[in-house]
Amino acid sequence: MSDVMEQVLAEARAAIENAADLDGLNHVRIQFLGKKGSVQALMAQMKNLSREEKPAFGQKVNELKGEVSRRIEEKQKELAELGQKARMASEKIDITLPGDCMELGTIHPLIMIQQQLEDLFLGMGYKVAEGPEVEQDYYNFELANIPKDHPARDMQDTFYIDPNTLLRTHTTAMQMRELEKAEGQLPIKLICPGKVYRRDDDDATHSHQFMQCEGLVVGEHITLADLKGTLEYMASAMFGSGRKVRFRPSYFPFTEPSVEVDVSCPFCNGKGCSVCKGSGWIEILGAGMVHPHVLEMNGFDSEKCSGFAFGVGLERVAMLKYGIDDIRNFYTNDLRFLKTFNRFD
Amino acid sequence: MRLSYKWLSEYVDLHDISPEVLAEKMTTAGLEVEGIEPVASATNLVIGEVMSCEEIPGTHLHDTVVRTGEGDENLHRIVCGAPNVRTGLKVIAALPGAKLPGLTIQARPVHGHESNGMLCALFELGVDKKFLNENQIEGIEELPEDAPVGETEVLSYLGLDDTILDVSLTPNRADCSSMWNMAKEVGAILNRKVTWPDYAGRSDIGEKGTFRFESRTEKCPLFFGKVVNHVKVGPSPKWMVDYLHAAGMNSINNVVDISNFVMLETGQPLHYYDLAKLPSHEITVVDDRDTKIMALDGVEFDIRKGDILITTGGEATGVAGIMGGEESMIDENTQGIVIEAAHFDQASVRRTSIRLNLITEAAQRFTKGVEPLSCRKGVDRSVQLLMEYADASGFEATEIAGKEAWEPVVITETLEHCNALLGTSFTMDQVCDVLRRLDFSPEVNGTSVTCHIPSYRTDLERPADIDEEIIRMIGFDSLNATLPVMETTVGTLSVPQKIRRTTREVMNGMDLHEIVTYTLVSDHHIQKAFRPAGKAVALAMPMSEARKYVRTSLLNSVLEVVQYNEAHSNTDAGYFELSKVYSEEGEQERLAILLDGTLQKDVLHHQGVRGDFYALKGILLTWLAKLGYGEARVQVKPCSEKDDAFHPYRSAELWLDQTCLGVFGDLHPDVLKEYDLKQGVYAEMILDPIFAAKAGRVKFEALDRFPSVNRDIALVVAQEITAKQLLDVIRKSGRRLVRSCEVFDVYEGEHIEKGMKSVALRIVYQAPDHTLREEEVTEAHDEILAALDSKLHAKLRG
Repeated sequence: MSDVMEQVLAEARAAIENAADLDGLNHVRIQFLGKKGSVQALMAQMKNLSREEKPAFGQKVNELKGEVSRRIEEKQKELAELGQKARMASEKIDITLPGDCMELGTIHPLIMIQQQLEDLFLGMGYKVAEGPEVEQDYYNFELANIPKDHPARDMQDTFYIDPNTLLRTHTTAMQMRELEKAEGQLPIKLICPGKVYRRDDDDATHSHQFMQCEGLVVGEHITLADLKGTLEYMASAMFGSGRKVRFRPSYFPFTEPSVEVDVSCPFCNGKGCSVCKGSGWIEILGAGMVHPHVLEMNGFDSEKCSGFAFGVGLERVAMLKYGIDDIRNFYTNDLRFLKTFNRFD
Repeated sequence: MRLSYKWLSEYVDLHDISPEVLAEKMTTAGLEVEGIEPVASATNLVIGEVMSCEEIPGTHLHDTVVRTGEGDENLHRIVCGAPNVRTGLKVIAALPGAKLPGLTIQARPVHGHESNGMLCALFELGVDKKFLNENQIEGIEELPEDAPVGETEVLSYLGLDDTILDVSLTPNRADCSSMWNMAKEVGAILNRKVTWPDYAGRSDIGEKGTFRFESRTEKCPLFFGKVVNHVKVGPSPKWMVDYLHAAGMNSINNVVDISNFVMLETGQPLHYYDLAKLPSHEITVVDDRDTKIMALDGVEFDIRKGDILITTGGEATGVAGIMGGEESMIDENTQGIVIEAAHFDQASVRRTSIRLNLITEAAQRFTKGVEPLSCRKGVDRSVQLLMEYADASGFEATEIAGKEAWEPVVITETLEHCNALLGTSFTMDQVCDVLRRLDFSPEVNGTSVTCHIPSYRTDLERPADIDEEIIRMIGFDSLNATLPVMETTVGTLSVPQKIRRTTREVMNGMDLHEIVTYTLVSDHHIQKAFRPAGKAVALAMPMSEARKYVRTSLLNSVLEVVQYNEAHSNTDAGYFELSKVYSEEGEQERLAILLDGTLQKDVLHHQGVRGDFYALKGILLTWLAKLGYGEARVQVKPCSEKDDAFHPYRSAELWLDQTCLGVFGDLHPDVLKEYDLKQGVYAEMILDPIFAAKAGRVKFEALDRFPSVNRDIALVVAQEITAKQLLDVIRKSGRRLVRSCEVFDVYEGEHIEKGMKSVALRIVYQAPDHTLREEEVTEAHDEILAALDSKLHAKLRG
């Protein structure tokens, strides 16, 4: 390469090096590679050369042109990267500002508990039964082995509409409807959640309206031990694994034997704490073996089949589970209360 | 039930069983003990004698010296404020260090006078004031003259060394409200011998007299009457008073006390009449009178046909099983009595006692049921105690109206059935041990066992009842925890259940919060109901005006929640409720939605979903689409009737197929005002038609392969022309090639003639089978424009 070429290359390299931005680089490109640029000027000198010299000279000028082009491209890439970096730096945001409001609503805590129970028992092959809240005396009491003038159906406890119509006092009414509907066909496996009503003055622990979920299984060879196992499974699912249940004798007109069911305290794991009042157990539901008379009234042969039933108050479960101290919260529907239940549970 | 530990121990040996241990064992066996309370509790008491007593001038106090034994060290200076303190009185002294309920006695000066203790009234030891007379409450307890000075077991001396177990009896175990039966139960639990007093046959004395007893109603199937010509009325023995107190009853006099005491022992309510006060020597039980009766406490009660009534000489003298009449009551002058022990119909007594609001001890016992043999027990024991403690004599033979009907109950259960029901593997020995303890005299025959049920266990009828006895006595801890082994069943939700769940999911996704409100509402709610399900039904006996009707719509319940939240600064939120409503026509299920302000409110980014008519419309249509009801089946129509709850020009009906589901839109200004709201859009939809309708299924259609062409137009039309009218014309006229069409702007104001509006629309043209040519689109587009002009006078905006 001739000295002139060396010099042009050196100048080009310096100019490229010094180009501060893409505009400057463009100027360099024009200065060296443009029609009136230095490299083109060298090309113009070719006409003064001999025929023998021309090819070698031409090749060299092309090499020079290629070299300068390559260097400009490199520089251009470099400058583009720098430019983008600078632009992005200028776009910096405050990541601590809040995100756009994309809120979800909430499901009422009682319904949340209801759905948890439904899912639990659906998984074991139970169906979810339904029935009217304004119920006939017949299903609420008569079929449930609570005949007329039984103390359990005192006017003190029941909202009657007329002598044969009432607001159901327990979800047992749905059990009775299902038993009747089954017409003696086994097996029966269902839960029946819903609203129930009793004549209670509303206070922190009483509500004239509340929710229950009852379960009923009737089949051949259903035992009290099966009830215990089922309730242990339910208690563990609702309150955390490893729950134990304890039965204490009790009385319900529609079960025999009848039991009160305590669950080992999930807060202290049975050691004794303020929630379980030191006992290690929390009373949570009532249960028992379906009374033979109830089975017979509904057309089942109590010699050939047996069943268990249990009932749990949803408010009680929710209050324990979430540490709610006043049952009225469920019916006041304070938005702050509702928004507490905004997560998977 | 108040169970006296001391009284119980008269029948069962409890020397090594503390009240706490007993309570635990009883609870485990099904007799839940809810509380344990000593009758009195005090330490460091001693019986003393007041040796001197001087008034402290200017005060109501006395400076006393009390002797509690021999020697100077047993002389105590005690300042006493009681009006009845005096020299020579035997007193209860609490010495320094004594612990009384809520109080510890200390030696300290009172008004400058040394005082080394306190002289006590019984209530200061914890005795309920209701068992004390005025003097005992005003002053200190006056012990009898023979009270042993220096005695330190004062509670024992006073008969107050007892503990009360508060037992909650389940309705099937009313038998245990008899002390004797309770003793049997405790004996079975503890596996100990139970000794009842030797009372049987004590009433088999006396000659037949002239007094006649008769029942003219089947509601009194059995009536024992016995005339006792001579009794001596006086105070009761101390132990009887103590036991009555322990049971929560007051002492009246020995005769009345015996009637109450025997009731507590046997469970049989008794009534003693003053023989001399009965106008006729005859008692007849009837239930066919409309009359009035003056009861023991001087109150007059209305008696109706059906109430069981005790009459004598044709006049009412008592409401059977509930309360005696005033004119025949025992008093201090009573010389002779008539004993009544009868069975009265459980249901009838219950109804009468509830109606008259006379929930007496006797009524409660009859309501819960008395055992078949209790009349005889009651009369036998009455005679025994009256002879012993009221000098009774002049007995006439017991007259029995009706028949003692006790069919001994025999239940046979097999070991297999018992173990099969319980899921246990008990042996016959275990089972028989329980049955023997319960006095069921079990007879084993192979693998079956026959039980002879005592008369008082009226709750036992079937083998399952025996199984319960077995498991509760052996203990539920013996039970394994298993899961049922049975045919496999499919657990699945019904269509309405799935729809409810999906509805909740959709509403949650739209930032709406679920609420649950009360079913029972006020008259006002009913009057202002939105499209009520039908004629409202009222409760027969509401607890309050606010909770009188079963609601026929959700509107006012939801409004109350929003009113509450607004008042608590919980603004900008959406709510929904899924609930049944009810009327004479039956049950209906409804969904209510209320938007209060802006949802997804984002102050920083100036964004949010305005809670207006259109937001609600969007929510509802998306909800129905999610449930499978697409545009073709859903219509928004003008309201067909006047709904007071809604703004008449900003509300609409939502229809699914041929059924109106409900109304949505702006709440009426009057409603907003009533509930202190500034804004609010509301929807109330009936769900039952949705449950019944057939939902559209998901179906894949091939994706469009050919490009589409968009044409945007701005039309000037009269204000009253609706978007739907425009869209309908466009779709109809261009149905071959118009793929979709949407409104993207509506404008009224400057540059637009008054009464007109500008509507901007985007029409998308597309063919399923070829790429559209320009002239095809133009042809279709021109046709549409012509149709818009001719049908709706819509012109392109110039």
